[in-house]
Amino acid sequence: MPITPMEIYKLLPKTNCKKCGEQTCMAFAFKVVNRDRQIEECTPLFEEEKYAKQKEQLLEMLEPLKEASETGLIVDESKCTGCANCIVVCPVHAAEDAYGSGSGFGPKIDDPIYRLENGVLKIINVQRCRRYGKNRILCVACRENCPSDAISFLEG
Amino acid sequence: MYTCAGCSCLCDDIEIVTEKDDVKTVYNACRRGAGIFLNYRLSRTEPKVDGKIADFEQAIEKAQDIIQNSENLAIYGLDTTTLEVQELAIKLAEKKEAYIDDNSTFCLGDFVEMILKGELPSTTLEEVKDNAYVIAYWGSDAYHSLSRHMSRYTYYPRGGKRQRGYEEDRFLVVIDVRKTHTAKLAKKNARFLQIRDDLELIEAFNQALDGKAPSIFVNDIPRILKEMEKADFNVIFGGLGLKYGLKGKYEAFKNLIARLNERTGVYFIPAGCHPNMRGFNELMFDKTGEINRYSFNEQRSSDEFAFYRLLENDAIDTAVIIGTDPLNSLPFEYAKKLAKINTIVIDPRETFTGRFARVVLPSAIAGVETGGTMVRSDGVRVELKPLFEKEINDEAILSRLLEVV
Repeated sequence: MPITPMEIYKLLPKTNCKKCGEQTCMAFAFKVVNRDRQIEECTPLFEEEKYAKQKEQLLEMLEPLKEASETGLIVDESKCTGCANCIVVCPVHAAEDAYGSGSGFGPKIDDPIYRLENGVLKIINVQRCRRYGKNRILCVACRENCPSDAISFLEG
Repeated sequence: MYTCAGCSCLCDDIEIVTEKDDVKTVYNACRRGAGIFLNYRLSRTEPKVDGKIADFEQAIEKAQDIIQNSENLAIYGLDTTTLEVQELAIKLAEKKEAYIDDNSTFCLGDFVEMILKGELPSTTLEEVKDNAYVIAYWGSDAYHSLSRHMSRYTYYPRGGKRQRGYEEDRFLVVIDVRKTHTAKLAKKNARFLQIRDDLELIEAFNQALDGKAPSIFVNDIPRILKEMEKADFNVIFGGLGLKYGLKGKYEAFKNLIARLNERTGVYFIPAGCHPNMRGFNELMFDKTGEINRYSFNEQRSSDEFAFYRLLENDAIDTAVIIGTDPLNSLPFEYAKKLAKINTIVIDPRETFTGRFARVVLPSAIAGVETGGTMVRSDGVRVELKPLFEKEINDEAILSRLLEVV
């Protein structure tokens, strides 16, 4: 399940207390998903006893954030069959490695985004991904063509 | 670059990092393919005679002895080994006037036969990559059985006339009785037909071709036909679901393909999963005009010469089983009869059949320890390059067995 700001917001105190420095709890939730802020910065959640249950749920929900790459990409190797659909559909691969991964073969460039290693998908060079950096594009080509949901993004 | 002999895709772009005689990393192979290379040293068998570990020479002499004394011999398996070995096996069967059969009897052999006889138009996967517009998977969950089929050869790669990728330059059709993982990939520019009966769907296509409204999938079938007419190169990949769904009524399917070809170009390629099944079928076809279940004694092919029928009818006294595990894969009623006859198993790995065999001869894994040629599902011959060389392989064993006949 992707983590959405709304799901985080539902578990926050929703008091808009501004102690974290954000104007609203919703704004804070967005920044937590994008990993600009840490959930620990919501002090009432951690200090007040009444939020204890919500805090636990939130910490559990945000656990995958730690595993995610810089673009919010998570690969669940246990679900991957190594079909390589994601590698071939990637628009960056098609543009930069047209006769390798763009044509269905194994990558012929040294630093592709993805590569099949021992039968499962490995992220080699996430900096090339269209989702990387400030001017990112919310491309989902690889996730869309993974029928076993081995690829997911934090924000859905 | 190595070739993976894990399934009939025979991907030839595998890169392998080795350390001494160990495989460290396998690049570009799917999970199944990588497993073959990474685990090649696991569950290996030893030479055995009557269940006891023996010397290789003892085992081969015992096997020669059994073959020499056998009256009704059958050779079975062969789909995971190379063309060179299959040729020797056919030679052995011919000299011994034995029966020979492989898994294509209950796999996709019927479709291969139709292609070899010219009853179904076929093409190569390279042509598909460069030209195919409508790509239909009929009764085949390629995502699981042939993992890299779609990404390497068919729907996803850009090539030749299809440079704009799967989103614009391909149209995917998945026909199956349930929503398989392959069916989940049918999104934009695609159709998933969840059917109950393959013959009913063929009938519906025929109705649409007659200009009538089809009885099922009223909107989808005319759309698929319209898409097919957009390009003169479309391809249907038929799997086991199609074979068993047709219930032997192949004429209806052949007629449909012929009718579609009056309007546009539609080709057929079997989507089967044994690496060299088609190779065996082609060799047999060249030699005898039949593709499988053949008796060299009676010089003809018949359903009663299928390996499971031979077991059922107690027609054989000895079976040479090469690279397959019938005790594991055949229904118990047939498989249990294997225990009553002399069985010689030639296999690199420990198998269930090997546990009950009179003689077990350990061999080499094709594509890892021995090279050779295999035939891909579309009929293209692919060379295998061994990663490590092993002297005792299927070819060497069969040559020894041939010495006594």
